[in-house]
Amino acid sequence: MMHKADKKNEAPETTDQASHIRSYRRLFRNFTLLTVICSLIPLLLVGWGINAHFADFARERMIKAFEDRIDSHRRTIELFLKERSDKLRLIAYTHTKGYLSDPENLKYVYAMFNSKSPEIRDLGVIDAEGDHLAYAGPYDLLDKNYSQAKWFAEVMDKDLYISDMFMGFRKKPHFIMAVARSENGSHWILRATIDTDYFRSLVENVKIGQTGEVYLVNKNGVYQTEPRGAPDIMDHAAFQVESAQNGVGVHIYKGGGQKSGFSDEIVGTAWLEKPRWLLVVKQDYAEAFADVNHANNASMLFLLISALTILVVTVLIARLMIRMIKKRDIQAEYLNKQLMQTGKMASIGELSAGVAHEINNPIAIIQTERQILLDYYNKQKPMDSDAFRAQLLDSMDQIDIQAQRCKRITQNLLRFSRRTRSIIESVDLNRFIGEVIELMEREARTSGIKFIPELENGMPPIESDPSQLQQVFLNLITNAIDAHEEKSYGSIRITSSADHSRQGVYIRIADTGAGISEENLEKIFDPFFTTKAVGKGTGLGLSICYSIVKQLGGDISVSSRVGEGTEFTLFLPFEMPEAVTKGEGSPGENQTPMKKAI
Amino acid sequence: MIKRKILLVDDEIVFTKNMAKLLEEREYRVSAVNSGDAAIKALEADDFDVVVLDLKMPGMDGITTLREIKKLGLFTETLILTGHGSIDTALEAIKIGAYDYLTKPCEIDELVEKLEDAQIQKDSGEQKDMADKIQRVVESPSAAFELFEKKKKK
Repeated sequence: MMHKADKKNEAPETTDQASHIRSYRRLFRNFTLLTVICSLIPLLLVGWGINAHFADFARERMIKAFEDRIDSHRRTIELFLKERSDKLRLIAYTHTKGYLSDPENLKYVYAMFNSKSPEIRDLGVIDAEGDHLAYAGPYDLLDKNYSQAKWFAEVMDKDLYISDMFMGFRKKPHFIMAVARSENGSHWILRATIDTDYFRSLVENVKIGQTGEVYLVNKNGVYQTEPRGAPDIMDHAAFQVESAQNGVGVHIYKGGGQKSGFSDEIVGTAWLEKPRWLLVVKQDYAEAFADVNHANNASMLFLLISALTILVVTVLIARLMIRMIKKRDIQAEYLNKQLMQTGKMASIGELSAGVAHEINNPIAIIQTERQILLDYYNKQKPMDSDAFRAQLLDSMDQIDIQAQRCKRITQNLLRFSRRTRSIIESVDLNRFIGEVIELMEREARTSGIKFIPELENGMPPIESDPSQLQQVFLNLITNAIDAHEEKSYGSIRITSSADHSRQGVYIRIADTGAGISEENLEKIFDPFFTTKAVGKGTGLGLSICYSIVKQLGGDISVSSRVGEGTEFTLFLPFEMPEAVTKGEGSPGENQTPMKKAI
Repeated sequence: MIKRKILLVDDEIVFTKNMAKLLEEREYRVSAVNSGDAAIKALEADDFDVVVLDLKMPGMDGITTLREIKKLGLFTETLILTGHGSIDTALEAIKIGAYDYLTKPCEIDELVEKLEDAQIQKDSGEQKDMADKIQRVVESPSAAFELFEKKKKK
């Protein structure tokens, strides 16, 4: 019998599970989202902050290092040029024109000059008219006259002159250093050509990564050394030399720099003191900042991994949590079911005791009628006497009356037991109350209690679960009857009235029993609270009533006065709330106040 | 043979009527009442050998009625005959002083048997009481006078 009932409940339970699953999913989503937001946002903020700070710091360090490098390279070049010019000046001022004009002597000096490294290409002595007096070097320049050369005018003007790169008679890019000296009123010039290859190697052979390059540009923007890549020496540089500031300057050019002539490069510039050449050091931005970028990427990767880890851990923890909650819910549900079952069994037990008494009385009467007839037969009294006939008819009538009585009782009982399944249907409450009263009337009468039904006429039917309602009414009326234990008579007034403003029905069950003390009144709906003797009451009746009424979308309250009686007020809505009809399935089976505490 | 006097107490009027008929057929004199109050009144007014008492009755219930009967201090024995299937209540009744109990519905022969047993119990109680009284009268003749006075009052 119980198994059948369980099976019938399976259908609503699946919709119940679906709604549970939905709520678990929501919980899972919310928990995961909240944890992820709470942990990822600070992580990302801190990560971003550290990263930005570090990148800034690294950039500054980078630029400073670049500056230092340019500065030191400028010094090297300046030092080289100064050393050469000083040497040249020393020779000019310590030797006479006559001495140096001797080719043998000049060759000796030239050889001494280049003894350590090929520092100068050639050496020449030129008189005031621009003619070569002597020449030492690989070219045949002895008969050249320089009076028209630009440098010649300049050197005669200044003490020391260092030219820009020019082609000259030899038709090769080179630059010269010249010292003019006046000796006994006549001017002569000592001129040296700096070895271009040597100078270029000094300037250019600075190792700055794969893409770094170094070159010199004169103030007119002409390359003085040959940059790696496209342009040739003596070509015009694409960028504006004038814009270069004094001292050391470092600029980072990003994107296509049409105006500057650089793109995606870090460029450092420094002016040489003499000659006025601009030292340019540049390197691809990507390479220069490779370390910084690498560190950036590494920290980003770290952030990503951390975020992923948090995500994974959060999801795992959320899952674990949900699984635990689910387990608890199942346990709670199981306990609730057991509680409900216990309550049901208890009320069935109480009811069956009453019913047994009810049914035994008519049966006993039927039996006595039989015995009376049997007595006639056994004593062999005349069966055709009037007395016997009267008795027979009387007995038959009585047997019929008592059988009808039995039938009514069993029908009532059947109606009750059939309502074990939870079905939401239209219930005519007044008729329903009438049925319950009929079921309980005899029990009440034996205790000297009268039912006084005051039912409002024309009350609309309500949508509810009759089996659950029946349990509520039986419990409340049984309690009302029990409340009269100390009194020999009393009454139970059952009032029904519709409240259209609240869209529901009020039912009041008022007894004239012992009443309930104020301190007990607070605990009256608690499970297992009972004032009945041990073994007499389970303490579940009212707690079950409470949970059922709540389930059905209604309300139950109690007021009482010790010695005068108790009144329970039930409110039941015309229509069940949607959550109950759709989501919860069979509420009586798995819902109690405990659920609400979760 | 002296007819035994039985008092039937049950709120089911038809039942008491039928039961009276059956018992009278079996040579008992039967009075039937339908409440505890009426039972006490009947016992005060008349002597009965055995009371057959229902437990569940409106007004004064069977247990209370039994207590009241015991207060009367009679030799009358009480048989519980109830439709109420609870053994607890029947056992409580026996503790209070009922002779035995039967559950409805029961066979008339069964009831008669119990009535006979109860009768023997009642008789032996009376005999024992009588023996006590004789003993007392033998020991002190003034007691006879006391007994006589008591009976007269009653």
